[in-house]
Amino acid sequence: MFPVADDLPPVGSPLLELHGVSKAYGAKQAVRDVTLRIPRGSIYGFLGPNGAGKTTTIRGIMRIVLPDSGEITMAGRPLDRRSLDAIGYLPEERGLYRKMKCREQLAYLAELKGVPHREALARADAWLDRMDLGDYRDKRVDSLSKGMQQKIQFSATFIHEPVLVILDEVFSGLDPLNIELLRGMILEQQQRGVTVLFSTHMLAEAEKICDSICLIEDGRVILDGSLDRVRADFPLRSVRVAWADGAAPPDDLPGVVARERSEGAWRLTLAEGADPQALLPALSAAGRLTLFAANRPSLSEIFLAAVQRHRQEVSA
Amino acid sequence: MSKVLTIVRKEYLERVRSKSFLIGTLLGPALMSMFVVLPVLLSSAGSENARTVGVIDADGSVLPRLEAELADQGRDNVTLVPFAAEPGRGQDAEARLRGAVASGEVDAGLVIVPDFIATGKATFLNRSVSAMVMRDEVFRPALDRILREGRFAAAAIPDSMFSYLSRGTAWESFTVSEEGVQEKQNEEAVFIAAIALIMIIYIMVLMYGNHTLTAVIEEKSSRMVELLLASVSPGNLMLGKVLGIGLAGLTQFGVWAVAFLAMSQQGVSVGGFSLDVNFLTPVVLVSFVMFFLLGFFLYATLYAGIGAMCNSVQDSQQFHGPLTMGLVLPMMLLSLVLRAPDSTVSTVLSLVPLFSPVLMFMRVCVETPPLWQIALSWVLLGASIWLAARAAGKLFRMGILMYGASPTWASLMKVLRD
Repeated sequence: MFPVADDLPPVGSPLLELHGVSKAYGAKQAVRDVTLRIPRGSIYGFLGPNGAGKTTTIRGIMRIVLPDSGEITMAGRPLDRRSLDAIGYLPEERGLYRKMKCREQLAYLAELKGVPHREALARADAWLDRMDLGDYRDKRVDSLSKGMQQKIQFSATFIHEPVLVILDEVFSGLDPLNIELLRGMILEQQQRGVTVLFSTHMLAEAEKICDSICLIEDGRVILDGSLDRVRADFPLRSVRVAWADGAAPPDDLPGVVARERSEGAWRLTLAEGADPQALLPALSAAGRLTLFAANRPSLSEIFLAAVQRHRQEVSA
Repeated sequence: MSKVLTIVRKEYLERVRSKSFLIGTLLGPALMSMFVVLPVLLSSAGSENARTVGVIDADGSVLPRLEAELADQGRDNVTLVPFAAEPGRGQDAEARLRGAVASGEVDAGLVIVPDFIATGKATFLNRSVSAMVMRDEVFRPALDRILREGRFAAAAIPDSMFSYLSRGTAWESFTVSEEGVQEKQNEEAVFIAAIALIMIIYIMVLMYGNHTLTAVIEEKSSRMVELLLASVSPGNLMLGKVLGIGLAGLTQFGVWAVAFLAMSQQGVSVGGFSLDVNFLTPVVLVSFVMFFLLGFFLYATLYAGIGAMCNSVQDSQQFHGPLTMGLVLPMMLLSLVLRAPDSTVSTVLSLVPLFSPVLMFMRVCVETPPLWQIALSWVLLGASIWLAARAAGKLFRMGILMYGASPTWASLMKVLRD
């Protein structure tokens, strides 16, 4: 199977690279000049609102739609159909053959990724056992609950032991148990050196597991890199405060640009360069403080700020 | 390539293992033979119906001969009831006969005038048009013979001369091929066999073409499209599906063919049709197999292409008609080609890939065309299949982006031009 393990770049160097990828549907420019480097071994979040161009970019990688221009390489080589066998893909638009038996279905999907017939059957058995679906081996898919069917879909994504896994809007439509299961599987795959690229519009979900991200809006990449570096680039800070008597923060706090009640406390967003420490006297004066914590910027704050900055750059 | 085989195996096994396949394989011949056997059974049962015909034979010389003639022909289901004319009241007998026919006492009436041999005049009375069949099939030949015999007797021509004079042309037919071999042929049997083989091509293409259409639509309704395209190219996916479903169809056909041949060997004529073995020359046999396969796969691929565009079977209806026309049209052109198999029009029409499985094969059956023309039609069919598979793949890829929207002819053409 291509690429074999020793063909791969070392962990941390780019595994999948997109150079200037564009795609238009008729008059609508869905993806504009997207350039990305996805490091090997990373959990890479491909983030943005619905309609930003995430799915189109992913479909471009999977050769389901062919980009109008640009180049996509994996391990330094142009991504061709053969190398797709090394990628596991769970599309947003996902289903299963309802009338096919679970074991046959998994084996069939593995075979289509180049796993030999016997081996595919053995792996299907192993995955069904792992998912606690061993008893459903010879049951038709339509006799399974939706949650069970999702487990089969997860299995199909990993069964051919891909070096890169692409998950499109994978968390939407999952029940909480399966979200937890999938998160565990993603982290486990990462341990084994597998690179995971997943798209979502649920930024909070992404924040929990990503180590690198890319923010895309209106078909353009407006921010990308490791989560730490992205955060460092956005020294946007906020503090969480709460008072014993549930008092509201005073109106004239120095350096505070926004305030918001959240989870029984107040979230105060500070102006760029403001020192949280300087706030403390004013806050203590307002009452008996029970909470004072400096927050790292959340992904959604970064996203909003990045979109604003991007729009200013475009209009300037 | 191994992925295509994986798809072929899945599609094939899925179909062959299904209950509907088993039922279809068993019931298919029963249904088909019903179409052939039932009308035969019904019409023969009809002729077995006892019929009574009232006869007025004025001078009484024709009726005994007519009875003998009917007995000779084995028409023992027709009973003749003499309506005796009382002297001087001939008109009255006819009125009684008319009344008997009208009331249903007899099924029909026959009035033979006194000087029948000289005038050849007879009157037939019937209540419904259906009795006309009896007049033409039973009484016309019998009376004609009686008339001829009577006139020859009147002219004093001896019996030996009679049989000589009434003998018609004795045909012997040969088909002369370029090798100079003369084969005795039964044209009617050849024609029936050719039509039967064409009908087989036609029915199989229609039946399994539709299967590929629904199978492709199923990929969409089960939302497997994207996952599959991430593993195989759309062209290979189409190829695998068409081949797998096609092989299932051929398996079914194979079972039928073996059963048919086995029954023919046993001397059982199936549906009144037994194959003329002389007719199955190597050229005809090879042509049949080739046109069957190529026609089958061309239409299956085209149907797959339609399925690729549509999200539901309802969506596909509008594209269905034109494609079915491609199959029906050659059936309508068949007589044109039969009349002049080697005319320019026939040659051109039979080379059109959509038509050649029917028209070129018919030409092969009736008058073998130059081999280069047969070969050319195969090449054209093969090329069309390749093009159709590519187009179907393209449509399939584009169809993903059309969830929800019903396709139109305009959007179809746009995708193909891209």
